[in-house]
Amino acid sequence: MKLIIERNQLMNSIQHVMKAISSRPTIAILSGIKLEAQQNFVKLTGSDSDITIESTIPREEDGMINIHDVQPGTVILQAKFVSEIVRKLPGDQVEIESDDELNVTIRSAAAEFKLNGQDAEEYPQPAILTTDNQFEIQADVLKNLIRQTNFAVSTQETRPILTGVHFILEDGVFELVATDSHRLASRKINLNSDAESVSFRNIVVPGKSLSELNKILDDHQEKVFVSVSDNQILFKTANVNFHSRLLDGNYPETSRLIPEQSKTTVSIKSRELMQTIDRASLLAQDNRNNIVKLATMPNQLQITSHSPEIGTAEEKVDTMSIEGEDLKISFNAKYMIDALRAIDSEEIEIAFTGAMRPFILRPQNEEESILQLITPVRTY
Amino acid sequence: MSKGRVIFHVDMNSFYASVEIAERPELKGKPVAIAGAPEKRKGIIVTSSYEARAKGVKTTMPLWKAYELCPNLIALQPNFEKYREASSKMFSILYEVSPIVQPVSIDEGYLDVTDHNFGMNGIKLAEWLQDKIYQELNLPCSIGIAPNKFLAKMASDMKKPMGITVLRKREIQQKLWVLPIGEMYGVGDRTEEKLQKLGIQTIGDLANHDVVALKQLLGINGERLHTRANGHDNRPVDPDAIYEFKSIGNSRTLPHDTTDQLEIDSLLDQLAEKVSARLRYKDVVSENIQIMIRYHDRKTVTRSRQLRDFVEKKDEVFMIAKMLFDEHWNGEPIRLLGITAQDLVPKHELSKQLDLFTYQEEAEKEKLYQTVEDMKEKYGNDVFIQPKEKTRPNLSTSFQKDFLNDFKKDKRED
Amino acid sequence: MMNWSVLGEKQPVATKMLQNSIQKNRIAHAYLFHGPRGTGKREASLLFAMRYFCERPQENEEPCGECVACKRIQSGNHPDVHWIKPDGQSIKKEQIEFLQKEFTYSSFESDSKIYIVEKADKMTVNAANRLLKFLEEPSRRTLAILLTEQVDALLDTILSRCQRIHFYPLAQEAYLKQLREEGLSEANARLASALQFDLTEAKELQSDEWFANSRKIVVQLMDRIVQSNEESYIYFHQTWMQHFDGRVQHEKGLDLLLVWLKDLVYLHLDEKEQLVFIDQLDRLEQQQAHLPLQRIKAAIYEVLQTKRRLAMNVHPTLAMEQLILKMER
Repeated sequence: MKLIIERNQLMNSIQHVMKAISSRPTIAILSGIKLEAQQNFVKLTGSDSDITIESTIPREEDGMINIHDVQPGTVILQAKFVSEIVRKLPGDQVEIESDDELNVTIRSAAAEFKLNGQDAEEYPQPAILTTDNQFEIQADVLKNLIRQTNFAVSTQETRPILTGVHFILEDGVFELVATDSHRLASRKINLNSDAESVSFRNIVVPGKSLSELNKILDDHQEKVFVSVSDNQILFKTANVNFHSRLLDGNYPETSRLIPEQSKTTVSIKSRELMQTIDRASLLAQDNRNNIVKLATMPNQLQITSHSPEIGTAEEKVDTMSIEGEDLKISFNAKYMIDALRAIDSEEIEIAFTGAMRPFILRPQNEEESILQLITPVRTY
Repeated sequence: MSKGRVIFHVDMNSFYASVEIAERPELKGKPVAIAGAPEKRKGIIVTSSYEARAKGVKTTMPLWKAYELCPNLIALQPNFEKYREASSKMFSILYEVSPIVQPVSIDEGYLDVTDHNFGMNGIKLAEWLQDKIYQELNLPCSIGIAPNKFLAKMASDMKKPMGITVLRKREIQQKLWVLPIGEMYGVGDRTEEKLQKLGIQTIGDLANHDVVALKQLLGINGERLHTRANGHDNRPVDPDAIYEFKSIGNSRTLPHDTTDQLEIDSLLDQLAEKVSARLRYKDVVSENIQIMIRYHDRKTVTRSRQLRDFVEKKDEVFMIAKMLFDEHWNGEPIRLLGITAQDLVPKHELSKQLDLFTYQEEAEKEKLYQTVEDMKEKYGNDVFIQPKEKTRPNLSTSFQKDFLNDFKKDKRED
Repeated sequence: MMNWSVLGEKQPVATKMLQNSIQKNRIAHAYLFHGPRGTGKREASLLFAMRYFCERPQENEEPCGECVACKRIQSGNHPDVHWIKPDGQSIKKEQIEFLQKEFTYSSFESDSKIYIVEKADKMTVNAANRLLKFLEEPSRRTLAILLTEQVDALLDTILSRCQRIHFYPLAQEAYLKQLREEGLSEANARLASALQFDLTEAKELQSDEWFANSRKIVVQLMDRIVQSNEESYIYFHQTWMQHFDGRVQHEKGLDLLLVWLKDLVYLHLDEKEQLVFIDQLDRLEQQQAHLPLQRIKAAIYEVLQTKRRLAMNVHPTLAMEQLILKMER
């Protein structure tokens, strides 16, 4: 194998795949970066076995030549060293050459490094996913979907399946659900019609993987192709492939957990409520569940919090409307703030069904299908 | 702390055995041991009289072995109720001397007599106290007299039984520093081993050792031990120290070392039951459960789990203890198991985050809660007093602090 | 390269059973390979895993050994084959955590996973139970192979969930032959075989000075015990205790003593061909003349008792003193 490549492009790619490489790999070979040189592209791969990131550098892009002079081949390089070396190389171009014994030479301007490579056959091969089960979505939309749900995954290992986000695709409707069993976040969107041939119900993607994915996806309207198999999900953009293993097991049925009727409905400006709760939670932080109390008043909500050592906070906030029974309810302020942030809408509607039952937050205009559910705190 | 304090450390001599002997004078002068399950030879010695100790009988020794060393040993079943009663009387006598009493365990406590000496000097007062306890309760004790708690504790250990020892600061070189390091209060086997590696053999060696090196070896405790070895200890005698209970624990030594899962489970179950009963009795819940496993070779491990929810029920305590046990048992024969509930929170300061998958259970009681809430608002917080279990949980183990706590509460209400 | 047919020479029964289960597509969820050290348990699990993932399986259920799956299993780089070895005394918490995490994740490449746990007796009950419980969920294509030298140390709940495959101690003659071919002296070859050393240990024996001295001390101790003039007690303190240090070494000494005592039994039974200390025939015969069979048997019993005491952490000096006194009688 031999290639000459623009150093900036190479460095950029290395930084992408380094995101997947663990400092304590589960199998030895995963401490390496896989470097595959083809006539028309160079592909780098990094993996910690949970996620695998492939970054492709095309030979030519936007009229710029990235890769010069290729003899195809593949080799595994020690990630830690190769990233440091490439970063510090003096020239604008890098020459990488590997002989039959896997001795790798890296040259740039007057600098030369000799490294021991490893056999590419030793490297894991994430299952190749067919394009049959593939649908497309815009990067910024996908990022937002993840942002609106992924915060609600469980960080506890007691129910491992809840550490992931449940992906459902049916009849062209794509839904993400996450819950840590205290609150639940759900978001649905309609995909364009070509997604109707694809459907899946029990895909659970680890929350950690999605956090990494969100760091990699760009904020613009680039297309992302998503394809799934029984044990992998692949997010594919023009130059980056992001694979993740899935969580094994059945995600609990969550639709039945969402109350259908409500006894008290409150419409309110999201920002004002959030700020009020945020202030009240100043005094709630040292109690264990970060508890604030909400009580309905005529056309107002009363928000209070209490800390035995510090004192009490009380504030009234105007609503646009309150319908139904009077209510007093306690909940974790953080969950409320998270939910309001996720909804990101000017006016919201909160539907309560009683002090011991979960309540629902939705944007006032039902165009966006987002739902945040919070279970209250029982005080003694 | 002002200088010139006079602190007593009162240490009852082989307390359980002495209580038995006090009750049955015919046992006096005979080797007596308190042992678990004395009808079986497999029981383990809890404590023994000085006559038995002289023959080599030691605490935690199996009974059959004690019989080998001391064939005429009289082994008795422990009766903790009786010991608690005796302890309670003993502390009452201490209170007669000074209100500043800090019970440490069922059979020892500190007294600050600086301002409560009845015009007597320390030794005279100690003699009077020792005599009074002996006359009224027929129980022997040793008393250490010193300017602080540490020295008093060390002093009470120097002469047993029925000793009175004065340890002045100026005497520490000749009386304290000559003692092997292992005898110092606060130095366990582990610490002793570590200190010996630094060449520290006596308390004097420790007192004269470089404090930085000690701090490196043992952290803050190294510094503390160094200060104590030099005769300094400014902790006050704190009558309320016993109140700051942070945990409730029960443990039990098995009649024989075991690997039998059924036996282990059943013991864990019983311990969970006890811990849970005591949590309820104190109206607290726990956020951290710890187990202790002591193996046949006395190697002991404690493992705990921080919980997401508060627990108080027996089943919950058992489940967590069992999980911890399964996770950490190395499969070797077990001698003792313990469960301790830590991070206790009074129930009235409590809240519970409901769970999406199980909230129905709570929701069904919603009406009731609402009514309670409304009535409280109308009539004040006292309308409902949670019915508490009338019976005191049966405290059958060596966790005596709760009992002392109760004792002190009673005292206050007097 | 290792393959079933080579392993089959050492372990015909185990090999046949494993080949059959693959052939008939009756692979269990969990296997327990048990048998002494050096009997091929690791090789068998390696072969099994290779065959399980092999891309080009050969006749007689042999893995090809050449494909990427086979190669990576051998180099430890296959992402769906997990080897778990105790790190020191037991399988560590991080290892269990890793396992637990692995259980919740799908497999990486294929649709199945293999967990191979060496010294499974060192696994905590909880870890083992979780592993097996996990395997029992029928939807999963997951296989565990537990390896152990001490099948008795495993709980029944674990045993009952595994298909047990016994790896017998190597046929003695075949092993002796192998040892001779490796250049061991006849006496050392016999000793290595009697002590169930594996090939590597046996080869080290040839140049192990400590071991040679141990041998000498055991023989000399026996001389003194036979003479019954209470010198053995002094010899024990002056020589034995200087040489053997710590439980493990004492156990080795006791193993040697056992072999010697068994030799004495063989002499009594007139089965000289069974002797291990073949180079000490004169010594053995002298001692045999003084020691009736009954006393040798009693001595063997006492040595076994002493080994048990050591295992229970009785202090070596105490345990050994007791042994010497009992043997002198």
